[in-house]
Amino acid sequence: MSHAFYLDVDRCTGCFACAVACMDQNDLEVETESIAWRQVFPITLGEGPDARLRYISLACMHCEDAPCLMACPTGAIARETGTRVVKVRSEFCIGCHSCSIACPFGVPRFGKDGTMQKCDLCSVRLENGLDPACVRVCPTKALRQGDPNDLGLEVGRKAAERFAGP
Amino acid sequence: MDKLQRMIKGKIPGEATGIEVRRSVCTICDPSGICGLDCYVKDGRIIKVEGTLENPNNGGTLCSKGAAQRQWVYHEDRLRTPLKRVGPRGSGEMKPISWTEALDAVAGNLQRLKAESGPESVVFYCGYPKQPRPFLQRLALEFGSPNYCTESSACFTAMAMSWRLDYGQMAGPDIANTKCLLVWSGNPFYASTPNARRLMDARDRGVKFIVIDPRKSPIAGIADLHLRLRPGTDGALALAMANVIISEGLYDRQFVSEWSRGFDGYRALAAEYGLERTEQITGVPAALIREAALLYATSKPAAMMPSSTPVVHHTNGVQNQRAAAALVGLTGNFDIPGGNVPQSFSWLEVSGAGFTTREHEFAMPRAWDDMPPRLGAERFPVWTRMIDQGQAMDLPRQIATGEPYPLRGMVGFGMNHRLWPDSNGLMAAVDKLDFVCVVDLFLTDTAKHADIVLPACSSVERSELRCYPQKYAILTRPVIEPLGEARSDTDIIIGLVQKLGLDDPLLNPAGSGAGGPGRGFLPNGAPDFGEVFDDALDWILQPSDVTITELKKHPAGMPVPKPLPVAFKKYEKKGFPTPSGKMEFASSLLEEQAGCSGFDPLPVYNEPRLSPVSTPDIAGEYPLVLNTGPRLPMFIHSRTFRLPWTRSLRRDAAADLDPATARNLGVAQGDRIEVSTSTGSIQVLANLTELAHPGTVHMFHDYPEADVNSLLQGDYLDPISGFPGYKAALCAVKKVAPAASPTEEVRQ
Repeated sequence: MSHAFYLDVDRCTGCFACAVACMDQNDLEVETESIAWRQVFPITLGEGPDARLRYISLACMHCEDAPCLMACPTGAIARETGTRVVKVRSEFCIGCHSCSIACPFGVPRFGKDGTMQKCDLCSVRLENGLDPACVRVCPTKALRQGDPNDLGLEVGRKAAERFAGP
Repeated sequence: MDKLQRMIKGKIPGEATGIEVRRSVCTICDPSGICGLDCYVKDGRIIKVEGTLENPNNGGTLCSKGAAQRQWVYHEDRLRTPLKRVGPRGSGEMKPISWTEALDAVAGNLQRLKAESGPESVVFYCGYPKQPRPFLQRLALEFGSPNYCTESSACFTAMAMSWRLDYGQMAGPDIANTKCLLVWSGNPFYASTPNARRLMDARDRGVKFIVIDPRKSPIAGIADLHLRLRPGTDGALALAMANVIISEGLYDRQFVSEWSRGFDGYRALAAEYGLERTEQITGVPAALIREAALLYATSKPAAMMPSSTPVVHHTNGVQNQRAAAALVGLTGNFDIPGGNVPQSFSWLEVSGAGFTTREHEFAMPRAWDDMPPRLGAERFPVWTRMIDQGQAMDLPRQIATGEPYPLRGMVGFGMNHRLWPDSNGLMAAVDKLDFVCVVDLFLTDTAKHADIVLPACSSVERSELRCYPQKYAILTRPVIEPLGEARSDTDIIIGLVQKLGLDDPLLNPAGSGAGGPGRGFLPNGAPDFGEVFDDALDWILQPSDVTITELKKHPAGMPVPKPLPVAFKKYEKKGFPTPSGKMEFASSLLEEQAGCSGFDPLPVYNEPRLSPVSTPDIAGEYPLVLNTGPRLPMFIHSRTFRLPWTRSLRRDAAADLDPATARNLGVAQGDRIEVSTSTGSIQVLANLTELAHPGTVHMFHDYPEADVNSLLQGDYLDPISGFPGYKAALCAVKKVAPAASPTEEVRQ
C-alpha cells in the first residue's frame, strides 16, 4: 500500500506541534526554523477587514513521479519498495542541490554536512503500525496519513455529510 | 543499515530495541487539564515523547511546547545542585552548596524572621507548576503566614470570581452537547490544545461558533460570526447583546423571574447600550452585534466558553466578565445539557472529575481569621472575601510601605516576576527583602535575585496526581532519575515542613524537628518522601473511591471508579451558592462592599483606565492600544524561550501590528521598532499581520530583552480582582531601524 500525507486545511491552526514532533522524532539539530523538515506557513488571503488567515503544514509529498528523484545525479534519492516512500541516502548525496531546483514544494534541506535531508514519512514507524510523529501529535487531527485513495474516501464521506445537511 | 538499527534509529519501542514507553504528564504549560505524556526511554534517558493515547484529555496529541519536552528536561542550563548567592542580588553570581546547607539556610532564615517579625512577614508564592500548590499553602499556614499566593493572582481567578459573583460558581461549556458556542475571547487552539480537536469536531457537527476577539486568531478563523471588538470593551458588547435579547423577548422569563436577583436594574443598564452607541464604543458593526445576540439566544442549547485572561486583564475586567457571563442565565442556558454546567471541585483546579477530595482541608490547616490580614486584604476586599489566597499584585506595595506590616522574606516556587506589571519595580521591592528563596529548574532572571536557589524536578522526574473532567485520574511515577540533585517541589516542601519541625501529622508524621528523613534515600541522595507523599494523597482522596493503591496499577491513568453522577438544574433543589440563593444580575457581595469600595452591584461597563476615549490627552502622545500577553503557539510565559526547537519558530521578540496601522507609521515587516509608554520603552521587531486588531499593538510577554509588562504601571489593576490591565493600555510605536539582518525575520 502506498502512503501519503493528507492535510485538512480547515483544521490546521498553525500550532507548530507537527514541526516540533518531527524535530523530536528525527533528532534534528534545529537552530533556525529553515532547517526543519516540516514547515508551517501562515498564509494571508486578502487584506483589511476581509482578510482571512490560513495555516498550511507542509513536508515532503512523496510524489509518485518524484522530480527530485529524477533530478538526482547519484541515485541518492530512491523510492522504498512497499511503503513507496521517497527516501534519501545521504551517503550517496554529493550536495549538488539539483533536488532543490526540481522540487516544486521546496522540501530538500541541507544540514551541517551539506547533504540533503528530508521527511521519510517515518517509514520505520509505519512498518511498525505507528503513525508518523507529525500525524500522531496533531492537536486538531488536521494531519493524516494513509493510502491516498482511502484518505480521499474519508474526505468524500465528510463532504457527503455536508450535502445531506444537519 | 540492518533492520534492528533502523528500528533503534526510528525509536520503535520493544524488547529488541531496548526502548520502553513510560507514562507521565507534561506540565510545561499547566492549564486545568494537562496532557498525558508517553516517554520513550532507552538506557535511562528519554529519547522521544508522544501524547498518551489513553489519556482522554489529549488523546495522543501534544502541542509544540510539549513535543519539545526533551530539550526542556535535558537543557544544559538545568540546575543540578542548590545554589547560594555570592554576588549582588540579580547578578546571578551563585555557588553550588549542599542540600543540607541549603535547607538549613532556608529554615534558619524563616525561623529568624518569624521570631523577629512574626510568621506573616514571610510570603510563600507558587507559580508553575501548579502541582505543589496545596502543599505550599499548607506549609505557609502551618508556619503561621497568611501570605500564600500564586500566579493565579494574574490568571484565571478573576474569571472564576466573576462567575461566582453572578452564579456563586463557575460553569464551563458543555461543548459535546451544544448547538452554539460563544467563545468569549481567548484562542484555545494555542492556549488549550487538548480541546482543539473537540472544537473542530463540534464545528463539523454543525455547531455555530460566535467568537468575540479583537484578533483574527485561529479560533476566529472557524467562526460563523466574529465580533472584532476594541480591546477592553467586552462589557459594553455583552450589555448590548443583553439589550437585544431582552427587548426582542428572547430571554428566559421563567428563569429570570424565579431564579434571579436584580433583573430590573440589569435591564435598565443594558438599555443604555443601544446598537449604534455600542458600535461606536466597540467598533463592532451594529448589525453583527444583533445577529450574534439572536444566534446565541435562539440556539437551544447554547454554551459560552470563557477564557482565563483576555476579558479579565482589564481595569474593568471583572465587571466585563460578569456582563458576559450574565448572558448565560438570561438565555436559560445555565446548568442545562449543552449549556454551561457547574460541577463540583475535584483536585488541583479541576472540577467535574467525578470525585471530591479534602484538598481544601489539606491546604487550609488554619483559618484566615486566626492570622493577620493577607496580601491585598485592604486593597482588594472582594478578592479577599472570595479567594483563599493573598493577591500577589499587592506585593510590591506592601514591601515598599510596610503596611499593614513589614514583609521580610519570600519563598517562591516557579516564580516569574514578569507576570507583574512594572516587573522591574517588583524586583526592586523584592531586593529589599531580608531573605529570598526561589525553587526552579533554571537560574531564571527571578531566581538570580534569590539568596538560595533550590533545583526542582520536571514532571517526568517526579510523582503527581492529576485528574480530568472526563472522569479520569492519573498518578505518575518518575520515568527517569532526577537530573543531578534536583528534587520534586513537594519533596522540597515536605523537607521544609520537617526541618521547621512543624506540627503536621501528614507531612511530618514522625514529628521530628531535625529534618527527619523519609524511608531511605533516592539514588541522588535525596530523602525518599514517596510514602509521606502517597499517604498525604490518600488522605486527600479519602472522600472518593480513588485510591493510591489502585492508581499505581494504572501508569497511564484510569477511569474514576463510581464517578459522581452528572446532574442538571441543581439550583432547583439547592438554590445558587450566592448570598441570595439566586443568580445575581446585581451582586449582593458587591452591594455590601459598595459603601467602602464604590463597586456597582450591576455589571457596569467602564472604559479601560487608559484608552483613546477615557484619556484622549494621553492618547495624543500614545495613540495605539497596547495588548500584552496574547499567546504564541510555541511559548508559554518564559518557559520554552530557551529551547532551540521552539525558539527556532520565532527567534526574535516581535510585536504584531496590522499592515494598515504599520503603513501609517512608516513601519515595514521586520523593522526594528520602539514600543513606548509613559513608563518606559522596549525595542522589538515589527511583525505585520492581519491577525492584529487595527490600532492595537499585540506583544507576547516575558522576553528578558523586551519585557512588555515592564511598560505598565504597577497600579494598573482592576480594583475588584487586582488583575493587571494587560489587554488594554496605551503606547506609541516608532521605527528605529529598517529590517536589515536576515536573522531578524519573523515567520509567525
